[in-house]
Amino acid sequence: MTKLTPRQKNWLEGTGAHIGTASKNGNPTVIVVDKATVINESTVKFILSAKQVQLVEKNISENPRASLGPGGIGSIRAAYQFKGKASIVGNELFVEVNEIYSTKPGPEAGLRLDNLDYNDVLKFESSRWADDGPPR
Amino acid sequence: MKLPEEIVSLLKIKEINDTAVYLATSSLDGDINLMPSPYTDIYLDEYILIPDLFAQKTKINLNENRQGLISIVLPTSNKNVTIEGSCNIIQWGHPAKFRFYDLTAGDVLEHWGNWTGKENILDDDNLAKPEVFAQRGVIIIKAEKIIYN
Repeated sequence: MTKLTPRQKNWLEGTGAHIGTASKNGNPTVIVVDKATVINESTVKFILSAKQVQLVEKNISENPRASLGPGGIGSIRAAYQFKGKASIVGNELFVEVNEIYSTKPGPEAGLRLDNLDYNDVLKFESSRWADDGPPR
Repeated sequence: MKLPEEIVSLLKIKEINDTAVYLATSSLDGDINLMPSPYTDIYLDEYILIPDLFAQKTKINLNENRQGLISIVLPTSNKNVTIEGSCNIIQWGHPAKFRFYDLTAGDVLEHWGNWTGKENILDDDNLAKPEVFAQRGVIIIKAEKIIYN
């Protein structure tokens, strides 16, 4: 089971995310939510506006795959992509993360992190970034 | 379609502090991928250009589904804007006459094939800049639809 690191959790909760979904035929849609809550080791919750629900609910009903990229300065400083299974309950969007990738441009772009040992992911992060989340 | 002036100004090459974008692409069966980029430029107020810095999944998606979507947040209003359209990657090795709408591969690679020659990518803290700026090509999105969310 995928386990988000404290740094990943702090960036997602602090900056929210660009949330990508797609129709079953591959037509992409992205919405941005500026806050998130990580409710367990791998699930992220977002509160959507009515318009945002309208934009993504059809995609999710026919194709539950979603991708998250940290918002604001997190798009650069927290170079992760989180992929997982999305579900909507009312105006709450839940994404159960099951794949995590590095998006740092260059040779590490696309490197899969969730299949590394958890302690190796922590070492990977501490060797590349000095922060443990967005500036407070 | 022409992009509004505010978006053109945001995405054109500047000295530094460019607006970061996400490029969304998808496989034909809906496996969505988001690629962030702090580097963008605009051509003819209609085409958004991004250097390809090992965008491997993006390339796989575009090889089967030539659709792209750019997601940005406007700094003035904090509103999310998405720009959708046809999307392609021009790479070293494309014939110079290969055409993507108003652009040819020769022109694209001559003008944007060496991004560091066009844009100051200073980044003292090395938060955005790759250790080695090894560019594989140029990703182009033709603006065809804009949505203000």
